[in-house]
Amino acid sequence: MKIERIILLIGCLLLVFTGLSMPGCSRKGSSESEKPVIALVMKSLANEFFKTMEEGARQHHKEHASLYDLKVVGIKNEEDVSQQIKYVETLIAQKVDAVVIAPADSKALVKVCKQALEAGIVVVNIDNKLDEAVLASNDIKISFVGPDNRKGARLAGEYLAKHLQTGDKVAIIEGVPNAFNGIQRKLGFEDAMQAGGMTIVSSQSGYWETAKANQVSAAIITSHPDLKAILCANDSMALGAMAAVKAAGKSGRIRIVGFDNIEAVQILLQEGAILATVDQHGDKLAIYGIDYALDILMGQATPADRETPVDLITVETLQ
Amino acid sequence: MKRFYSRLPVWVTDYLGMAGALGLLLGIFGFTADNFFSRSTFLIIADQVPDITILAVGMTFVLIIAGIDLSVGSVMGFSGAVIGVLLVKSGQPIGLGIMAGLFVGLGCGLLNGLVVIKWSLPSFIVTLGMMEVARGAALRVTQSRTIYIPGYLDFITETRWLGISMPFILAVCIVLLAQFVLSHTVFGRYMVAIGTNEEAVRLSGINPKPVKLAVFSLSGLLAGLASIIHTARYQANPNNGQGVELQVIAAVVIGGTSLMGGRGSVLSTFFGVLIISVLETGLAQANAQESTKRLITGAVIVAAVILDYYRQRIRNVKTR
Repeated sequence: MKIERIILLIGCLLLVFTGLSMPGCSRKGSSESEKPVIALVMKSLANEFFKTMEEGARQHHKEHASLYDLKVVGIKNEEDVSQQIKYVETLIAQKVDAVVIAPADSKALVKVCKQALEAGIVVVNIDNKLDEAVLASNDIKISFVGPDNRKGARLAGEYLAKHLQTGDKVAIIEGVPNAFNGIQRKLGFEDAMQAGGMTIVSSQSGYWETAKANQVSAAIITSHPDLKAILCANDSMALGAMAAVKAAGKSGRIRIVGFDNIEAVQILLQEGAILATVDQHGDKLAIYGIDYALDILMGQATPADRETPVDLITVETLQ
Repeated sequence: MKRFYSRLPVWVTDYLGMAGALGLLLGIFGFTADNFFSRSTFLIIADQVPDITILAVGMTFVLIIAGIDLSVGSVMGFSGAVIGVLLVKSGQPIGLGIMAGLFVGLGCGLLNGLVVIKWSLPSFIVTLGMMEVARGAALRVTQSRTIYIPGYLDFITETRWLGISMPFILAVCIVLLAQFVLSHTVFGRYMVAIGTNEEAVRLSGINPKPVKLAVFSLSGLLAGLASIIHTARYQANPNNGQGVELQVIAAVVIGGTSLMGGRGSVLSTFFGVLIISVLETGLAQANAQESTKRLITGAVIVAAVILDYYRQRIRNVKTR
């Protein structure tokens, strides 16, 4: 049958594609080499931010292939906490030397990280900080290497405040309600707006998504026609807010700031549709973690937190 | 024919019921949300429903033949990704990009249909597979990056008549056309018949396969069309349309289409889409908390389906 053949052909093509994309498939078993194996455990590799982080790590590994072996795993969607826990359990069983992890949940991952430490694995926490209180109650210390999201958001907020006047109405589009970095960014935005004397009329979640942020922004713009600015906890949501401002015919009258500095936003900064964003150097974040893990493995560093830079990106800094 | 006329009033009560529920929601938000009854609120809703409406039309047909299409959100994401890559990365003309988007949607739908009919598989699992495949493909072609499309597609969202955007008018036309096909053509009758009892259809000498293939292909094609509108508004993000399939199914079911097949109406689906959209916009304007939003949305979906149960009973009494 013709149909059968076509489907088989497509099936084979798909298999080839998925085979190509499977991380670690083509890599040699770790037991053969003397080099330490560092496992990078990410959140969703479907997310541009983590994809960039992964690419940065792979590039770094290529340049320092003699120092260590790299393994990268990522979960399907960002909320899939149980999947990430299973990955770490697998890595413990595989006896990797270090785990560099961006936890999907700042509390739920603590227990499995403790198991890893007990198995003699070096654990370095990147991106999303593990909860202090839970770490303390488990009697463990895990070094955090990452940016201060609150500080980053404050930078963007302060830059925005310079373009506003005291008493101006602003709105915040938050990330997923329980995400630590989202909460930190919200707090940073609030710090800056309060310092500048602006009124926050609404603060709602856009679930990190463009379409959702668009819907919420459009509603806020309607209920507050004199709104002057929208502060978004990531750039995807800033794109949604931008579409809402455009649809309301208020381009230029409502300013937008974002966070993450994704590629798509850079043109918009130049066009003036988005005022500012924050770069927390996602491409280097995993590298910082890996470097730190290597330092600890070679006995050159003792576990402690290390803060990585956050930079304000505006049309001036782009040039 | 006689039966058709005797059913007319039932259709009327059907739509009145949906319109009443919608009116009630509008009334509640009129009191609780700031500036709800304004021209811009309704223009916002009109701007936000076209893509969902178009997906819901395809979904209505699929549910009527007792199938389900879980892949629409991912297929929309994939089509949009292809449009983005062609327009921005390869600098192809806009017309070609749009055609490619439609073609990708149609291709995914056709593949769903072929697999479902060839091996008589449940569409739930086949389209679940397509949901993953299309999402993976979207991530692959964009390398997981959002592609910003500078202005090329603005003509789609910014062509307006009396403030109403072209996508909204297009969506309404598709709804009317699909309702006509459903209730006034042989194809529509076949769909209802297949959804009611596929075996009986086969035994009466009608091959259900071409109809089913057409329905799944149409669902894919409509996902391609929705992706053009979605991408024009939100740029080509490979994660576009995630979870949209459930939102679409909710809208279709609120509109009284049966998940068991054999019964449904495209016009009622449109009301379902409007109810969900009014609810979401209203809750956001009322500055509701995240938890409240989800509690209320969930409750309304269940309430609407319970309402449909009683509506259905009334209809059965009337037509008996």
